[in-house]
Amino acid sequence: MGAAELNKKSKKRKAADEAPAPVPFPEDVGLDMHSEDEGGDEAEADDEDDGEADEFPEIDTRSDSEGEDGSAGDEEEDESEDEEDEEESEADTEDDDLRIYPKPKTVISDITGQPKRVYPEIEPDYDSDSSTEDTPNRVGNIPMHWYDDLPHLGYDINGKKVLRAARGDELDKFLETVEDPSAWTSAFDKNIQMDKPLTEEELDLIRRLQENENPDAGYNPYEPTVEWFTGKGKEEVMPLSAAPEPKRRWVPSKWEKQKVMKIVRAIRQGRIIPNKPKTASSQPQSYAIWNDEPSNVPAPLPAPKPRLPTNAESYNPPEEYLPTEEERKQWEETDKEDRERDFMPQKYGALRLVPAYDQFIQERFSRQLDLYLAPRVQRVKLQIDPNSLIPKLPSPSSLKPFPVYKSLQVSHDGHRVRALSVSPDGAWAVSGDENGNVGLWEVMVGKEVKRWKFQGKVGAVEWCPRTDVSFFVVGIEEQLHFIIPPNLSTPILLATQTLLAPATLPPAPATPSPVKWVSTAAAASSSDSPILTLHLPPSSGLPKQVVWHRKGDYLSTVSSGEGQGGVWIHQISRRHSQAPFRKVKGSIQLVLFHPTKPHFFVATQRYVRMYNLAEQKLLKTLMPGIRWISCMDVHPSGDHLIVGGYDRKLCWFDLELSDKPYKILRYHTRALRSVHFHPTYPLFASSSDDGSIQVFHARVYNDLMTNPLIVPLKILRGHNIKDGLGVLQVRWCPRQPWLVSAGADGEVAVWCS
Amino acid sequence: MASTSAETSHPVVFTTQTAYPLPSQKFMIPTSWKRYQLSQLVNKALSLPKPLPFDFLVRGEILRGTLAEWCAEKGIGEEETLEIEYFESVMPPQKMSTLPHEDWVSSVSCQLPGYLFTASYDGTIRTFDYSQKLLHSAAIHTAPTTSICLVPLSSSSKHFIASASHDLTARLTTLSLPSDSSKPVESQTVTSLHLHTAPLASISANASGSHLLTASWDGLIGVWDTSIPASDEVPADEPAERKKRRRVEDDASRPKRKAPLSVLKSHTARVSKAVFGRGEGAAQEAYSCGFDSTIRVWDVENGVCTQTIAASSKPFLDLALTPAGTSALACATDRTVSQYDFRTAATNISASAASLLHPATPSCVAVPPPSGAEHQLLTGAYDGIVRLWDLRSTKSAVTSFRVWEGSEKKGKKVLSVDWARGVVGVGGEGGVEIWRVGEGGRMFLGN
Repeated sequence: MGAAELNKKSKKRKAADEAPAPVPFPEDVGLDMHSEDEGGDEAEADDEDDGEADEFPEIDTRSDSEGEDGSAGDEEEDESEDEEDEEESEADTEDDDLRIYPKPKTVISDITGQPKRVYPEIEPDYDSDSSTEDTPNRVGNIPMHWYDDLPHLGYDINGKKVLRAARGDELDKFLETVEDPSAWTSAFDKNIQMDKPLTEEELDLIRRLQENENPDAGYNPYEPTVEWFTGKGKEEVMPLSAAPEPKRRWVPSKWEKQKVMKIVRAIRQGRIIPNKPKTASSQPQSYAIWNDEPSNVPAPLPAPKPRLPTNAESYNPPEEYLPTEEERKQWEETDKEDRERDFMPQKYGALRLVPAYDQFIQERFSRQLDLYLAPRVQRVKLQIDPNSLIPKLPSPSSLKPFPVYKSLQVSHDGHRVRALSVSPDGAWAVSGDENGNVGLWEVMVGKEVKRWKFQGKVGAVEWCPRTDVSFFVVGIEEQLHFIIPPNLSTPILLATQTLLAPATLPPAPATPSPVKWVSTAAAASSSDSPILTLHLPPSSGLPKQVVWHRKGDYLSTVSSGEGQGGVWIHQISRRHSQAPFRKVKGSIQLVLFHPTKPHFFVATQRYVRMYNLAEQKLLKTLMPGIRWISCMDVHPSGDHLIVGGYDRKLCWFDLELSDKPYKILRYHTRALRSVHFHPTYPLFASSSDDGSIQVFHARVYNDLMTNPLIVPLKILRGHNIKDGLGVLQVRWCPRQPWLVSAGADGEVAVWCS
Repeated sequence: MASTSAETSHPVVFTTQTAYPLPSQKFMIPTSWKRYQLSQLVNKALSLPKPLPFDFLVRGEILRGTLAEWCAEKGIGEEETLEIEYFESVMPPQKMSTLPHEDWVSSVSCQLPGYLFTASYDGTIRTFDYSQKLLHSAAIHTAPTTSICLVPLSSSSKHFIASASHDLTARLTTLSLPSDSSKPVESQTVTSLHLHTAPLASISANASGSHLLTASWDGLIGVWDTSIPASDEVPADEPAERKKRRRVEDDASRPKRKAPLSVLKSHTARVSKAVFGRGEGAAQEAYSCGFDSTIRVWDVENGVCTQTIAASSKPFLDLALTPAGTSALACATDRTVSQYDFRTAATNISASAASLLHPATPSCVAVPPPSGAEHQLLTGAYDGIVRLWDLRSTKSAVTSFRVWEGSEKKGKKVLSVDWARGVVGVGGEGGVEIWRVGEGGRMFLGN
């Protein structure tokens, strides 16, 4: 609406100007160059103002009160005005009267006789150019709000403050517009912070822009045509060559024709399809970009970052980074590849003294070579603390006592000692070698107090586990000898003699056994010779193993001989022997009595079978996964079994749990020879042909939910390997955490805690 | 003695209990000095005619390194005045003689001046004099003898020897040692002690010779007096046939069977040693150690255990009381010889005042006679080395010597040491050796 008003105002103004213009302006009046500030036309201006002042409130009220109704009237007025304009422009094409420029006079030239425009002279003094004098503020084109809070507006050319003119409130402003006739042609000048009347040129510019005319007042859109090159006498008559136009300029081209014909033929033959038929594929297709599988091509890897320079690489490093003379010499002597760093720290006082880096090209080259040749593979790095993979086992030092050192050693003169047994009270040990010697010695002193000599190898030696009697069994070729050790107290000696050589023999069994029991009379017996001898069936071979039942009445032997007569169970009290198995699949390696139940373990080469002797049936077959079983022992609780094999494995079976091993330990480097559980301490030991004995802590919980805890404690070394055989037998001392071991080197050692 | 200006020096006051006192003035000693320089200093200051080596005790510890090291270890400043006690050094032990035996020697006694008694595994007790001459050999036991002790009864020519054996008995033997060496030495077994049902481990007598203590593998300790019974106190429980045969022998000369005064029962495993207490107030006290890792103190008169020191997993092999009688030294199979003070052990159960580490199992321990150096002890181990320790410096042995050297590259086991008047008898796998170990050149040689 404001723009429309301004438009209207300018129209009114124009009309007001127009109205007097033709009438009062004679040509001489036009000599005065008018700017509105000048007071030349004051009366005229007053008149105009008066007229305007009368009209203005009318327009204002109309615009305020009437609204749309008024607009129709405006349009009518505008139309009429437009018509007037047109008439005027027709009448006076130059329309000079609106110009605010110095008006030219049109005079007849004395020389040409043609009319010409004569402009008034411009006096080139300071006052003549009024364009600068009304802008005293010299702060330039800056945002003026910077001075909003200040009392001045800026500075004049002399550096004096230009003070802000006082501005009234809105009422003053309104009154001003009412009183000041030039208020509607003035606009706010930011630079001087006050309203300033628009100049004639500006008003004219506004008018032209409103009327969509060219804003340049001097532009004449209807200038007459000037024929420069056409027309009579102005033709171009200057060809470059006088040669006649060649024929080819106007004859169609033969080669083009041939090319075109070629295409035409191809089109006809269908070799070129001019317009491919539009198919569905040519349609713009939309597709789901996430439908495809994501590419598994790895993202290009960023190049590894070069190492950041450190203090030593500074041009001016601290003194401590500078190499000494020896370091420098050493650096120069070493090969380039072997150098710890590829530069030598140097010190320069200033950066401008630093020479050009001579290794720059070489370094860049090797860096590029590195990036080019080094296969950069994205490594999926597992964030695993390696310590967390180690099972949480208690420290061996917290599981004391266990044997740690060799306390003493008993020699068997270099003969292999395969048989070893410790008495139930832990005081005596018996060891038998392959030369037929059986030695009885004190465990703690190692003094052999008695020695027996038998014919042939000693295959097994075992103490009777009973404490009310005291004797041990020696197994040699096809014979078992029962020997009473010397220095027994009388009650024990008598009980033993009565047991082994009773005065009245028990009734002979119904089925005679091929095993003969021969005992010497108790009175004639001594510890020098066996009191009782069992003659195993002929060709049964050497008894490899003698095991006692926990109660000491039954003992079982495994002989190495071929055939069925391998396993025998002997009962001392009834002086009777029986073979528990009529037919055995596979060769039996070992047997074992269950400590609490009437169960019997039989180990063949690959399997361990568990029989119930009372019910005479097979309970279960344990599969250790060992190719050849060499040794076996049952935990004193009877719920766990360890089996060792010649293929270096040791399997722990939880008999309640599974037929498969609970744990397989493969710590020995050679075949296992012997395993043994300690009767009271939570320990077991395994011996091997690698000459070492390994001691384990094996805690078994009564709670069925908790798995046994097996902790390797100690590797005991000290036996020599002879003929590929190491430690052949290990046995624990029953009451102490001591271990007795027999080796192929003929030594029997006691290991103490 | 002014210190050199370049070195730091330490103020020191010397004290001694020997016959070589220094004036009690403050010395400034360079801290780099060791025992040798200090010993030279004392010798020069006293201007002794014959140089005597001295050892130095700084606050109860024997000085092993330099003074500066000791101060740094203890964190003692340079201004603090140190009181250093010195005493004559232990001379390096000298081997006196070797007494070869056919079998292992389980026990040696050199308590009788001029004579040496050995018990061997062949059951024989042999008597030697200091000129390596075998005076007498008596096959007293049929089984290996494990222990022997001289019963100090006041008799000039007749001596009592108690021996313990694997044959479940201990025997008391009289031995007449005539002053005239041409006369033969005669021995007679006067009585046999019958209590135990397992081999005996040790036998020992008290200072007056009135009582004996036997320790056995069956966990019992027998208390006996040394009176000879007129008749058998224990019935012979041998089979009838044997008795008949025995009766064929001379019934009068047969040793009488003797029963114990009392039996001390508390040990749960083998008792390896039982000894009487030393000193006046402790005459009725007995001390024992066993494989059940306990050391027990007994009131012999009432036969009750008055104090138990329980160590953890230390089966004890041998026990000896310090000369003062207030603490015990016990060998254990964990290769330590520990000192247990009975006074502190009453409040603190596992009070081990000192622990001497050995490379092999220490099998026996011996302390010098009461007049000797009260801080010293001898231990014999299975590696064939006898070590002399000073309780004031437990880190390493004062000196050590290897017995039966050159016989084998592996050491032979030492089973027994006895120490009296500067003479040390060592028995074991290789027989018996006699060494001279003394203090400061004063040898308590047999007179």
